[in-house]
Amino acid sequence: MIGSLGNLFLRTAVVLTGTALATFALLWHAPGDPALAIADARYASIPPAEVVDLIRAEAGLDAGFWPAFQAWVGPLIGGDFGQSSVTGRDVWPELVTAMSYTGPLALAGLSVGLLISVPLALLATQHPGGWLDRCAVALASIGAAIPAYWLGLLLILLFAVQLGWLPAMGARTPAHIILPALTLGLGVAASLTRILRSGILEARDQHFLPAFQRRGVANRDIERDHVVPHAAIPVVTVFGLELAFLLEGVVMVEVIFARPGLGSFLVNAIEARDFPKVQAVVVLTAVLFVTVNLLIDLIYHALDPRIGERDA
Amino acid sequence: MLTVDHVSVRRGTIATLQDISLSLGPNRTLAVVGESGAGKSTLIGAILGLVPCNLGHITWDNAPVHRCRPALVMQEPRSAFNPRMSLRRSVMEPLVARGILADPARLDTLCHGLEIAPDLLDRRPTEVSIGQAQRMGILRALIAKPPLVLFDEPLSALDAVTQKHTARLIAQMQHEEGFASLIVTHDLGYAAAFADDIAVLRAGRIAEITPSQAFVQTPQTAYGRTLRDAAFALGALERVA
Amino acid sequence: MRSVGALIVIMLLLALIGPMLAPHDPTQINIPHRLSPPSPEWLLGTDALGRDILSRLLHGARWSLGLAFLISVIGLCIGTVAGLVAAQGGKLADWFVMRVTDTFLAFPDLVAAVVIAGVLGAGTGSLIFALTVTGWMRYARVARGIGLSLQNRGYVVQAKLAGLSPLVIARWHYLPSLLPSLAVVWTGMFARAILGISALGFLGFGVQPPMPEWGTMLLDARIHMRSTPLQMIWPGLAVVICVLAINLTGDALRDALAEQKDRKGTA
Repeated sequence: MIGSLGNLFLRTAVVLTGTALATFALLWHAPGDPALAIADARYASIPPAEVVDLIRAEAGLDAGFWPAFQAWVGPLIGGDFGQSSVTGRDVWPELVTAMSYTGPLALAGLSVGLLISVPLALLATQHPGGWLDRCAVALASIGAAIPAYWLGLLLILLFAVQLGWLPAMGARTPAHIILPALTLGLGVAASLTRILRSGILEARDQHFLPAFQRRGVANRDIERDHVVPHAAIPVVTVFGLELAFLLEGVVMVEVIFARPGLGSFLVNAIEARDFPKVQAVVVLTAVLFVTVNLLIDLIYHALDPRIGERDA
Repeated sequence: MLTVDHVSVRRGTIATLQDISLSLGPNRTLAVVGESGAGKSTLIGAILGLVPCNLGHITWDNAPVHRCRPALVMQEPRSAFNPRMSLRRSVMEPLVARGILADPARLDTLCHGLEIAPDLLDRRPTEVSIGQAQRMGILRALIAKPPLVLFDEPLSALDAVTQKHTARLIAQMQHEEGFASLIVTHDLGYAAAFADDIAVLRAGRIAEITPSQAFVQTPQTAYGRTLRDAAFALGALERVA
Repeated sequence: MRSVGALIVIMLLLALIGPMLAPHDPTQINIPHRLSPPSPEWLLGTDALGRDILSRLLHGARWSLGLAFLISVIGLCIGTVAGLVAAQGGKLADWFVMRVTDTFLAFPDLVAAVVIAGVLGAGTGSLIFALTVTGWMRYARVARGIGLSLQNRGYVVQAKLAGLSPLVIARWHYLPSLLPSLAVVWTGMFARAILGISALGFLGFGVQPPMPEWGTMLLDARIHMRSTPLQMIWPGLAVVICVLAINLTGDALRDALAEQKDRKGTA
């Protein structure tokens, strides 16, 4: 147990190091002279060669790959995400502001997803194969095939342009979160419904259930005490997957709805070639993602010691 | 000549083989007997190089064993063949690995010797009987003329009549080809009838190595005697003694 | 397997023949007829530059489906090789390959693709690179899992003892057993690549104008949402239909495989 937990943490550390290295290598090998790009972003014109050299020295770009990597990772471990190469300001406060927009949006999206999928899955599995079940499966399949950006545009078209009920662009009022959250939530609902449905059906299939029925345990009690916990194990897995889905969705949704947040922060940073900002978002996402997956593995250990690690 | 020199194998903290030493020359047959869990399969794995030795050396003519390309006949005849391929392709693998794509004369000789109808070669492993599949297994083992052939419970998946037939064919082939053969079995009757020597394996150690006739008369250890008496009680040794 | 074969044929035909069926040149600018509503001349109307939307959709199939096919097949090759190296190459190779796989999985793949494509600069080359680099890990996991379960099979041990090279063993003894499961993964990754291409196109990091690609078309259509809302429907609908068809094929294939396994289990 302790050995496998140690192994788990070791793997997490290796993965995080790998992500940092891969990100840095990507940006290091990005086309174009990064110093020139910084100069261009700062002064919006081609500056003289001395200025470019100065920028290069200042950004540590002349030191070579490994020194530059160390110069970036060293402070990063202490929580220092560095400064924007365009404005020169610290990245971290801007990142916090972005997260304060993205966090509520992701939570709202997840809530919408849960509010739709849990009742739908429970209703659908009342009569497996019945018309309600088939409708739920069909809806979930279609939902999984609709790209978030198109769904967002359709919702804007319907509720903001045609009906004029809801605001679409920006994040000025609380009502601005409704359409983005709905866009995210419908996508989450599609995948959650499928997984919950098959989870519930599988749990019902367990061979211990007939034994309970013979012993005269009421169906409702069986459902509550045995079926639901069994369906909960895949749900834990799903949260890891949904997190990926939410993060991807957030990028698209924030761009479509012109909302501030991590996604638009990332896309703007890429377009401005502000690499310290890009690195910051990537590292933050990776840490978040890896931490959640580590937690899931730990929960697995707690739920069922037989499961050493998840198999994908 | 196969030389196993003070070999020990550990899995985790458990020693599965301890201080094993034995040798086996061409045209000789050594039967390794013992209860299940005594380390018989591990011994085969170690000789083939599939299981690493923690201590000691295993050599064939003073070179690592894998250089002589030893062959193995498995307990479950069907699972030794890829179900998606014809038996002919599987059987030819040892030759293909040596760059020989076809050798009809050799195949003919072996088919004749092992009493295999040549058209069976074009079937799938599931389309022949277990006994036929085991003879195919022997055919594959022998096709590239290996100097050393290991048999891992070669008869235990077969019925009594087929067992006798197959055992006789193996002995006959050895007489013609002259390979050294190491047979792992729990069937003392088979061991006594066909092997030159019998090695008794117990809890990862060799209890004794005795010429098989002598073993049937007077085993050297108490454990050997227990094994022999149990075999007598089952009637397995009557045809030899 | 047959359904997947049919799917491949249909999609490739669509990508090959689609452009031939187009009634107009998809890049022909026709300002006097810009933003026309659907009519017999322009069945689905025209866009802001007067280009025929139907023709652009049909030509777009080449980008969206053809590129997605290419990307998912490259990913299949990389992932299968990685998985087989992990399964066959011993403990050290396994550890190394699986940690690399974990590292790439430690990130939502579409976000990673956005970063890679964006940083490398917009264009088809970086689009393919970005979606391939982020799209091989699932194949690797599946190939390794099945590979490890095969390595102690009698016939694999026999092939090793016979002295066949790992490459030959992989080709004849591993690959045939891997294919059905890899086909299921492939359908998922094919659908994912279609979504990824159009998402990157929509963000402006993908296929560049004037090439008609469904995501890029959506980006153009978005600006004219108020005047010609229908223009926005078509490219999205094309993506949804393709992805849905692929996903349903994948589901059917997975169910068929599970049933086969069940039958083997009870027999």
